[in-house]
Amino acid sequence: MRLGFLFISFLAGSLIIYWTLPNQKSRTVFLGLASLIFILLADKLAGRIVVVLTIYTYFFSVLIEHSKFKSLYHKISVAGIVLLLAFFKYMGFLDKYIHSVTHFFMQNPAHPFEKILVPLGLSYITFRYISYLTDIYWGINKKTDIYTLLFYGGLFTTFLSGPIDRYERLEKQINVFRIYFKKDFVYEGFERITIGLFKKFVIADWIGYIINNINSDPGGHSLGVRAVVLFGFSIQLYMDFAGYSDIAIGASRLFGLKIMENFNSPYTKPNISQFWRSWHISLSDWIRDYLFFPLSKYSENKIWLLIIVPIISMGLCGMWHGSEMKFAVWGMYHGAGLSFFQFWSIWKRKNKSLKKFTETKSFNFFSIIITFVFVTIGWLFFR
Amino acid sequence: MEEKLINFIKGEYLDDDDIVITKDTKLISSGLIDSFSLVSLQTYIEREFGKRIPAPKITAESFDTVGQMIEIINQF
Repeated sequence: MRLGFLFISFLAGSLIIYWTLPNQKSRTVFLGLASLIFILLADKLAGRIVVVLTIYTYFFSVLIEHSKFKSLYHKISVAGIVLLLAFFKYMGFLDKYIHSVTHFFMQNPAHPFEKILVPLGLSYITFRYISYLTDIYWGINKKTDIYTLLFYGGLFTTFLSGPIDRYERLEKQINVFRIYFKKDFVYEGFERITIGLFKKFVIADWIGYIINNINSDPGGHSLGVRAVVLFGFSIQLYMDFAGYSDIAIGASRLFGLKIMENFNSPYTKPNISQFWRSWHISLSDWIRDYLFFPLSKYSENKIWLLIIVPIISMGLCGMWHGSEMKFAVWGMYHGAGLSFFQFWSIWKRKNKSLKKFTETKSFNFFSIIITFVFVTIGWLFFR
Repeated sequence: MEEKLINFIKGEYLDDDDIVITKDTKLISSGLIDSFSLVSLQTYIEREFGKRIPAPKITAESFDTVGQMIEIINQF
């Protein structure tokens, strides 16, 4: 609740100052610094990390853009960010295993990593900065100044729950003399925030309230009841996450910014590939661009391309969500689903009558149900 | 470039000689090829035309027709 209050206060205060500033450059600098203060107030450690990470990313962006050793600096910069993320995300989880080993050699060894907590927003800012550095390396965008970088990485409206927008998209919006205030920003922003609050606090939380009682005693209920609960959890998760994304998109709209959409009716898609193009779109696009494509280039072997790459990519996508093994398993489950879908697509292409059959409306409806069931079963790993 | 791309797409992804592909034929949105095919298309473009197109530029929307592909290839 404290974080919610801080968010609302910051949103109101920064909106007034933002719209009174004379040009977009000063607004960008202001929003970057205001976001940093917000993060420091929300979580001191996260704030310090944002400062270090932004200086680090800026330093390497200069090297990647100007040096002859672009590839080397790109690899070092990305490795550093990944190591930082891995340290905070997985060392706490690995502590018990490290302790088991050290316990073998000494009596009562310390738990040096036991109390490591993942700083707020770390997963999002690290992915933003990796994409920023990689896009400079690939020639998609030029480096920017450190304040604009801070604005991109730390913008408080999207810092806590995404979306993981790309710098190239935001740059096009802020690289103008001034975004002129329109009443539509207020209407669109508040409408979106209201939708988000409804999804989160009415639908998701009410479903959660109903199913939590049943979840606390799963053995005491029939399989049918548990299946309904799992269905409810599937809806709850979507409404919860999509609600937060709506609030982030709406709050950003109040500043005249258009943040990328993160969900597009994912439970109405007829296959797992389309599901991932409409569920947490900013993350799945990131996985596709910075993991799936680069990994695919290592070999043209069909097993590598059709089975191993989807499973590795989605396994890592799962690990991004949390340190426990269940997240990696959930990701690999989806990777296996994507792999199966690729084989199915190849088979369908070679078989004209099957292709014709799959184009019918009834098959499409059946496919939506199957995809939903597949995704919903996957949430069992996620819980 | 157009002819080479069309021949590659027909040979690699379409097992039906009756399908006619032009510069403006919708490939992904019409379901003729799936978005996973974009990976091998990226490799082919790099090998055949010596152009390395970054993954963020190769999306189901931006690579939907051969014409769009040529436009993006020419940017790099």
